[in-house]
Amino acid sequence: MKMVRAQQLSYEYIKTVEKDGVTTEQKLQALKNVNISVEKGEFVAVLGHNGSGKSTFAKHINALLCPTGGTLWVKEMDTKNEELVWDIRQSAGMVFQNPDNQLVATVVEEDIAFGPENLGIESSEIRKRVDDALEQVRMTEFATFTPSKLSGGQKQRIAIAGVLAMKPDCIVLDEPTAMLDPIGRREVMETVHRLNREEGITIILITHYMDEAVRADRVYVIDDGDVVLNGTPKEVFSNVEALKGYGLDVPQVTEVAYLLRREGIPIPADILTVEEMVGALCQLRSTI
Amino acid sequence: MIRDITIGQYYPVASPIHRLDARVKLAITFIYIVTLFFVDSFIGYFFVMLSLGAVIASSKVPLRFMLRGIKSIMVIIVFTMIINLFTTKGETLLLEIGFLRITWEGVAVALKMSIRLVFLIVGSSVLTLTTTPIHLTDGIESILKPFSKIGVPSHEIAMMMTIALRFIPTLLDETDKIMKAQQARGADFDTGTLKEKAQSLIPILVPLFISAFRRAEELATAMEARCYHGGENRTRMHVVSIGRRDFVAFAVTAVYVCIIFLLRHAAEIVPFWI
Ligand SMILES: Nc1ncnc2c1ncn2[C@@H]1O[C@H](COP(=O)(O)OP(=O)(O)OP(=O)(O)O)[C@@H](O)[C@H]1O
Ligand SMILES: [Mg+2]
Repeated sequence: MKMVRAQQLSYEYIKTVEKDGVTTEQKLQALKNVNISVEKGEFVAVLGHNGSGKSTFAKHINALLCPTGGTLWVKEMDTKNEELVWDIRQSAGMVFQNPDNQLVATVVEEDIAFGPENLGIESSEIRKRVDDALEQVRMTEFATFTPSKLSGGQKQRIAIAGVLAMKPDCIVLDEPTAMLDPIGRREVMETVHRLNREEGITIILITHYMDEAVRADRVYVIDDGDVVLNGTPKEVFSNVEALKGYGLDVPQVTEVAYLLRREGIPIPADILTVEEMVGALCQLRSTI
Repeated sequence: MIRDITIGQYYPVASPIHRLDARVKLAITFIYIVTLFFVDSFIGYFFVMLSLGAVIASSKVPLRFMLRGIKSIMVIIVFTMIINLFTTKGETLLLEIGFLRITWEGVAVALKMSIRLVFLIVGSSVLTLTTTPIHLTDGIESILKPFSKIGVPSHEIAMMMTIALRFIPTLLDETDKIMKAQQARGADFDTGTLKEKAQSLIPILVPLFISAFRRAEELATAMEARCYHGGENRTRMHVVSIGRRDFVAFAVTAVYVCIIFLLRHAAEIVPFWI
């Protein structure tokens, strides 16, 4: 069973524009026939520059938007089916960019309880889930803190815990680190990877940062509402020129490898980490 | 300076008053406020003071926290006092300056009114200092629940209060940031006429409102993503239950109310200056 499957998924925003007293409807095609499929337990990164349609895609997985064309299934549940909306939202949780604008309650544990409370779960079970979720994001000692006293990274981990308490199979994170400092970014990325590894939770990470995508199992690149590249990080990042064409950078070492290759130095194109680079360079020296 | 606004002023210590059910505390505070308007003798106020003192002592909250609320309404207290001092009609003249007559009765009424205001504020401070905002909103929600049949949106009111409490610190921070940004560009908030001061607030309020609306929209989306669909079929992590100590509190309150009315009756046969 596929965790998430999009087939010819399209979405049009309808904007009303007022010009010279005349209101006209403008259509904006944010997604064009997108085909994506995510296996259970996979870690998928979605890349794309500003306005390419990443958030629009993310909101479809959570049934916050309904496709205007094509279909998206979450665990074989069609998101167009209104009766399944709550099941879909429980199965595929969502973490947003701004840590401040997604926490509801004045106390950390109350906020984590918000999701399960909405699902109508019994109070003793909610208590257990909240404690487990706090433990999973390593925030147990902050249970009774107020969110406004926490750092950005801690707030994002609370947001993740809030999703975990709903026992999801999949978590969609829409640029969760965009507003964080380097320490906060590391905290959040470690948490997400641990959940994927240890709990087997499917992760769909939407990001701007190439080095966050390097550790994914699979990378999708969206440009102007279209999936233009997809494959393992090695496959995708070796297309340095194509990526630059879509307004994206590549990880720093990949860029160095690309420049070296252009100078005629025989080095693999799919280098993603510093260690790989060191290995490749040492090998090169031993062959000379 | 903007940080001084304290809302959700909960004082975390363990005391019997803290452990009381929020609904019980809300009800008792309500009864206390209503009965305060039936007290009209100094003996009565003395009794209220003793009772309030006993409650404060058992709440383990330092007295100065309880009295902090008075400072903010000092102006209102003084104003009430002056009005009552000059407008009360009485027999026994104290002094007369031109057309202003001050009578002993006026002094008594003025004193009683300001004492009443002080007790009102201190009494409600006991509630907010010993109850967490969550328990308070939960309490209000369940007290209002019976009225939802006649269209009172009890869950929505509680939810709105929770969200307001959650976002007050965030918006205060943001106001601070905007003010600093505008000051860095040469804005001046402290000098000038009242009109100029009011005008200098516009460049703060406009960005603040825009950001608040953006936050509201994002929060609504995030709540929806977490399966929020109003109060229907919603459970709570903390279930409140009324225990023995809550009945004891009600019993004590009942005795208190009885004494208040006895004293009121007594006041009819003693002169006004008691
Ligand atoms: N509510 C909306 N109404 C109209 N158009 C919208 C709306 N939201 C997004 N768009 C448009 O749809 C397109 C895709 O937007 P989307 O938010 O999905 O991009 P994104 O890849 O998430 O960008 P970013 O990196 O800035 O988050 C953009 O051109 C955007 O202007
Ligand atoms: Mg986006």
